[in-house]
Amino acid sequence: MPLITRTPLAWKNLTHDWRRLAVAVAGIGFAVLLMFTQVGFQNALFDSQVKLIDDLEGDVFLVSRAKYTLAAEKRFPIELINQARACPGVLDAFPLYSELTLSRLKNLQQGSSRKAYPIRSIGFHLEDQILRSPEIKAQLPKLRASNTALIDVRSKPENFDFPLEDPQALAAAPAELADRRVTLVGTFDMGADFAHDGNLVMSAENFANYFPQRQAFGDPLAVVDLGIVRVQGGADADAVRDTIDQIVDDQVFVFTRSQFRNQEIKFWDDSTPIGIVFNAGKIIGFVVGMVICYQVIYSDIADHMPEFATLKAMGYSAGYFLRLIVAEALLLSIIGYVPGLAVSAALYGVLADATGLLLRMTPQSMALVLGLTIAMCIASGLLAVRKLLAADPASLF
Amino acid sequence: MPGTKPIPATSGVFTDGRQAPKSIKVSKLNHYFGEGELRKQALYDNNLEVKRGEIVIMTGPSGSGKTTLLTLIGTLRTVQEGSLKVLGQELHGATRDDVVRLRRELGFIFQAHNLFESLTAYQNVNMAAELAGMDRKVANDRIEYLLARLGLGHRIHYKPKSLSGGQKQRVAIARGLVHQPKLVLADEPTAALDEKSGREVVTLFQELARDEGCTIVMVTHDNRILDVADRIVNMVDGRIRSDVAVHETSVICEFLRQFPLFADLQTSTLSEVADKMMVEDAEPGDVVIRQGDPGELFYLIRSGHVDVIVEHDGDKKKVAELGEGQYFGEAALLRDEPRNATIVARSKCVFYTLGKADFKDVLARSKSFVEELRTVLASRT
Repeated sequence: MPLITRTPLAWKNLTHDWRRLAVAVAGIGFAVLLMFTQVGFQNALFDSQVKLIDDLEGDVFLVSRAKYTLAAEKRFPIELINQARACPGVLDAFPLYSELTLSRLKNLQQGSSRKAYPIRSIGFHLEDQILRSPEIKAQLPKLRASNTALIDVRSKPENFDFPLEDPQALAAAPAELADRRVTLVGTFDMGADFAHDGNLVMSAENFANYFPQRQAFGDPLAVVDLGIVRVQGGADADAVRDTIDQIVDDQVFVFTRSQFRNQEIKFWDDSTPIGIVFNAGKIIGFVVGMVICYQVIYSDIADHMPEFATLKAMGYSAGYFLRLIVAEALLLSIIGYVPGLAVSAALYGVLADATGLLLRMTPQSMALVLGLTIAMCIASGLLAVRKLLAADPASLF
Repeated sequence: MPGTKPIPATSGVFTDGRQAPKSIKVSKLNHYFGEGELRKQALYDNNLEVKRGEIVIMTGPSGSGKTTLLTLIGTLRTVQEGSLKVLGQELHGATRDDVVRLRRELGFIFQAHNLFESLTAYQNVNMAAELAGMDRKVANDRIEYLLARLGLGHRIHYKPKSLSGGQKQRVAIARGLVHQPKLVLADEPTAALDEKSGREVVTLFQELARDEGCTIVMVTHDNRILDVADRIVNMVDGRIRSDVAVHETSVICEFLRQFPLFADLQTSTLSEVADKMMVEDAEPGDVVIRQGDPGELFYLIRSGHVDVIVEHDGDKKKVAELGEGQYFGEAALLRDEPRNATIVARSKCVFYTLGKADFKDVLARSKSFVEELRTVLASRT
């Protein structure tokens, strides 16, 4: 690479005027920060949409073909769980029940609004290994009592203003779920999302008591929201999924964990404005960065037009100028990215504390933003290079 | 030389023989600016030849087209009409690659220094050395030599910001020369320099021309450096008005001074006469003028020998032999008579000729014309 052995003109021009460099770095760093906030929030929100999936144990999942998202209350008969359980390679299969429309929690404490707000109720057979949360596992005995439930500490505080820090006060707090008394015997940590303001966890028996209308006739537990399959040790989840898919009735989709997760994120990304909003945010960051980067490179070219024209007269080819500007853009993107990354990481920390969102600086998002930054700088460099290629050495005489 | 365009005597074409290698060959070059109705001709039928190792100074008022011609030679403009050969490469219709390759053999010195502020003097000069693919050690030595030679030895690693205008210009000159260009094109290279460093620059030019065969073409209005020119090209209104080999002109002037009629003329008048003279050549045995023919030209022998033969009553008699610096053919012009002798070339000859009208015109300006005329006639019986 001639840029290393030869006079490093790109580097020299870039770093010659430190004030200009500082402005450039600040601008590109800002664009990097913008993109990081968008990527961070998007990941955090998508992560919260699939938090339930992440909190479930299990390798393969059964969902009704009509259930386009976790929040859609489309169910399938429990017989299919039994079919899946019988499939080769399957260790066990469990049903998971959830209810939102019927599930309204009313706070009856002194001074509260006494209005009922929808909350997601999750029911499961307490002996089934379904939820990963150690908090829930530890409190399983409490859930055996009738009319008990655990409440998510992250449930929307405006709607569910319970004394979550104090277990005694919480258990004493009067509350109604679907117009029946409920005792909140403890808390767990799951998180709200776009569709659900809060969560309750309870035994399948209590669940059936609270929501008998789930099925007009018959056992409310005969229709299942989610089937959770655990494969035998050593078995390949993909292969087992294929087997189940062949054997079990066509009413359900059979997903592996990552398929299920991607399917859910895809719904929020593609079919709701959320993906568009965040992508627009990323594009804005990208464009802002491009404008700044273009401005920096363009003014560098414009200020050195006679010098570049002289190089042209000397016999430097168009290829050299192209490489020069691409190198300059690349350097700019890296010089701008590093402080942008540092500031973003700090901001993630502050925002995570403030909002409770899962803002994480993952290698994927770092790579994504670095890629976007490089692309934005090189694209603006290529736009600006036209000015340079138009330099007319004849104007020098 | 029937059929060919007469060549001016002062062009110096014959001084080194016809085949001296040419760095630049311009023929029938026209150039236009603008399009359609606004199209304006900038160069009219320019012809110019520059030999290897020559220093050519182009002069002329601004707008005379000298800069246009210089940019055309420097490949910085596209040739539209005519032919332009630089270092053997025809530029009319040359490809982009040809042009880029040729540019690397040229050295440019612009009126503005155009140095990168971000690079030191050394690095700026090195940009040209790198492009030429010079060996690092060789390049390093040459950069240090040139900068030291131009009085910047102690400022090699300074950035332009800490250099004066003249020093920056000298760095730019070093950049134009570092890659041993075969042809240097310079635009007012000494304009920003004081007399001493200006002189140092042109002395360097002379050394490069002499030692490296580097051809130098510069546009300048700096009269202090006119003396280094081997050739001065004067342009007016897009035409080359005169193209004078300085040394050749002084030779012709010396020769002319020996002609008694011209002896008291000013050097300026003599060089004007020289400008009007044309070149003719002859092979051994060629009859240059024949006795009895009407006289049209005055001849000055640049090189070779001729016999003067007078024919009287059918009897041919060689009356004299003439050599370099001598002249003939004046008597017929002065008296409006036919030739009184036949001149035959003895060896390969080159003559400089002056037409009858120009000859008489010059004579009319000579104060002592009548007296001189008498002397001349008296001495030539």
